[in-house]
Amino acid sequence: MVELSGCQFKDLFTQPTKAEEMLHRALTEGNISGISLSFLPEDDKKKKQFICSAFCVANEKSQEKVYVIASPAESEEERFQNILKEIADYKYALDESSIVAITDQKGIITYVNDNFCAISKYQRSELIGNDHRIINSGYHSKEFIRNLWVTIAHGKIWRGELKNRAKDGSYYWVDTTIVPFLNQENKPYKYLAIRSDITSKKVAEENLELSLKETSDYKYALDESSIVAITDQKGNIKYANHNFCKISKFSYEELIGKDHRIINSGHHSKEFIRNLWVTIANGKIWRGELKNKAKDGTYYWVDTTIVPFLDEKGKPYQYVAIRADITQRKLAEEEIIILNEALEKRVKERTEEIESFSYSVSHDLRGPLRAVNGFAKILEEDYSTVIDDEGKRLLAEVQYNAQKMGLLIDDLLAFARLGRQEVKRAPVDMNQLTAMAVREITQTTNHKAQIKIKKLLPVMADYSLLEHVMSNLISNAIKYSSKNENPYVEIRSKRGNQEIIYSVTDNGVGFEMQYSHKLFGVFERLHSAEEFPGTGVGLAIAYRIIKKHKGKIWGESLQEKGQSFIFRCPAHYKKLKCKQWKIQK
Amino acid sequence: MQTMENTEIEILLVEDNRSDAELTIRALTKGKIANNIVHLQNGALAIDFLYGQNEYTDRNIDKKPKIILLDLKMPKVDGLEVLKTIKSHELTRKIPVIILTSSKENPDIEKAYSLGANSYIVKPVEFEGFAKAISELGFYWLLLNQGPH
Repeated sequence: MVELSGCQFKDLFTQPTKAEEMLHRALTEGNISGISLSFLPEDDKKKKQFICSAFCVANEKSQEKVYVIASPAESEEERFQNILKEIADYKYALDESSIVAITDQKGIITYVNDNFCAISKYQRSELIGNDHRIINSGYHSKEFIRNLWVTIAHGKIWRGELKNRAKDGSYYWVDTTIVPFLNQENKPYKYLAIRSDITSKKVAEENLELSLKETSDYKYALDESSIVAITDQKGNIKYANHNFCKISKFSYEELIGKDHRIINSGHHSKEFIRNLWVTIANGKIWRGELKNKAKDGTYYWVDTTIVPFLDEKGKPYQYVAIRADITQRKLAEEEIIILNEALEKRVKERTEEIESFSYSVSHDLRGPLRAVNGFAKILEEDYSTVIDDEGKRLLAEVQYNAQKMGLLIDDLLAFARLGRQEVKRAPVDMNQLTAMAVREITQTTNHKAQIKIKKLLPVMADYSLLEHVMSNLISNAIKYSSKNENPYVEIRSKRGNQEIIYSVTDNGVGFEMQYSHKLFGVFERLHSAEEFPGTGVGLAIAYRIIKKHKGKIWGESLQEKGQSFIFRCPAHYKKLKCKQWKIQK
Repeated sequence: MQTMENTEIEILLVEDNRSDAELTIRALTKGKIANNIVHLQNGALAIDFLYGQNEYTDRNIDKKPKIILLDLKMPKVDGLEVLKTIKSHELTRKIPVIILTSSKENPDIEKAYSLGANSYIVKPVEFEGFAKAISELGFYWLLLNQGPH
């Protein structure tokens, strides 16, 4: 400890002049720093360097004082040590943070850090002494690699992204900086490569590119195949593709910024349009057929799908309309309607022809029939005294046949008329229908049959046509059981698979099953007219009616115990689903 | 059966089919319903007869038949045409016209009534029924029904 006060400042140091200069500068400049001074040694200790700073402060009396701060400076060795430590710290930071490799000027690996081993999956021993090409992936072009070498061989730093191959064959990407270390001749003797793993980033990039390409492909496909327009949420056209311009005959410039109403044809009702807007404004996709007007006033039809694009709040910010030209199809549709109308007209004409034919049959055939009958009767009445029994029998034959012919004509006409009739489907109360039929038969014919109607299921059918069938089957049943002591007829129904099955059973003579296929032929009879009268058309009519209902009718013989006539009818009527072409007239 | 100039005409039968006509007349006369029947074979003759035209110019047209039995399908002037004429002519429109035809086709029935027919009878096929129908209708229209006058 030296007693300093009262000494001259400069005398403390080995370089007094320098010390005094420092003070002087502090006074004039205010402050000064970084001056290296050595205190005079007071003992054998080595003189220590100090780094000094001096600053001047004036007090309230404008008296100036200079304050000096001296900090011990490092010794050369210390400095050297510190530098070495700093370098070591840098190296540590580098090794920890990055993938590091050092090669000689030929490219032989002389050093790798742990990260390098980890990412390349090689052991240190497998790398050191080997050419760095060991991690080449073959991904980069020859030119790329050559360019890299040329750059670093000229002593310049190379930066880029490299794809390398690990020991197990997997690939990884590294952001690479290669720094050449130059010797005194400025030639590289060593290369330091510092890398960071960007594999995941690269993978993401690749995927994004694929995605973008795919999106671009989709857009291309869409633009090429369809008519596309994009409008903002107010309906102003933001984009229209080439096909849109082509079909609407407007140019792109004429469409952009305009309200899409520019192509309105006025064909659709206000409601239709409003419904469209409400649908898409609510974020839902609208599909339908639209009639639009082109620039030159011509019309075209498009099958349209409008997709609203929603923002994060779920509100539409733009609408993409994708359309397909269906004008041709619409024209074809219209043609079909016209053709159908023509067909309907032809059918009507044909029907009228048939009807007038029936009328002729009805009128013209009956006349002579009546005459035959009539005159035979007159003969019988007026000449009964002169005609013998045989003559009378012959006359009876004549009359009988004439009558039969009349019945045949009636039945045939009924057959033709019913066959032409349209089946009008409605829910039919079969209990009521059958009861009515039975009542009518009972009123018009004399029979002693007991008729039992079980609870019958309802069905979708034509009331009057089914009535005809039931009537026929029941009168047949009564007729064929009439010879029985206690004729009995039962009518039942049961539910089948999507159909109702009705049966009319009697305990009469029955028929032979082997002839059952003949039952429904026109004029076909399995019993002679002497046994049971009838023209044989009744069942044919029933068959036709049931067939028109898309059902089935058949007979089952119970031999001597009787017979059953069964028909089944689809329970529900499914409307034929024709293509839903929205015909807007 | 021809009528004499001044006797009452009870029935004017307009029928082109001679067999039907014979049977009808027989039924009416045998049933003692009518005796004075004028039978004309077609509608044109019927018109001439009723309004005193052509060969019937000299007929006293005030001598009107009590009822007219009219067939529909006839050559030349159709039955419905005759009906229309009868029902629109002041002279004849009150005379009951009974359509007597083999047609039971609906359009004919409708048309006949809309033109003012008083009755529509479908000729039964077999003679017995036919005869019965004729005598019944004859009885009704000539005896039971109160005619206009």
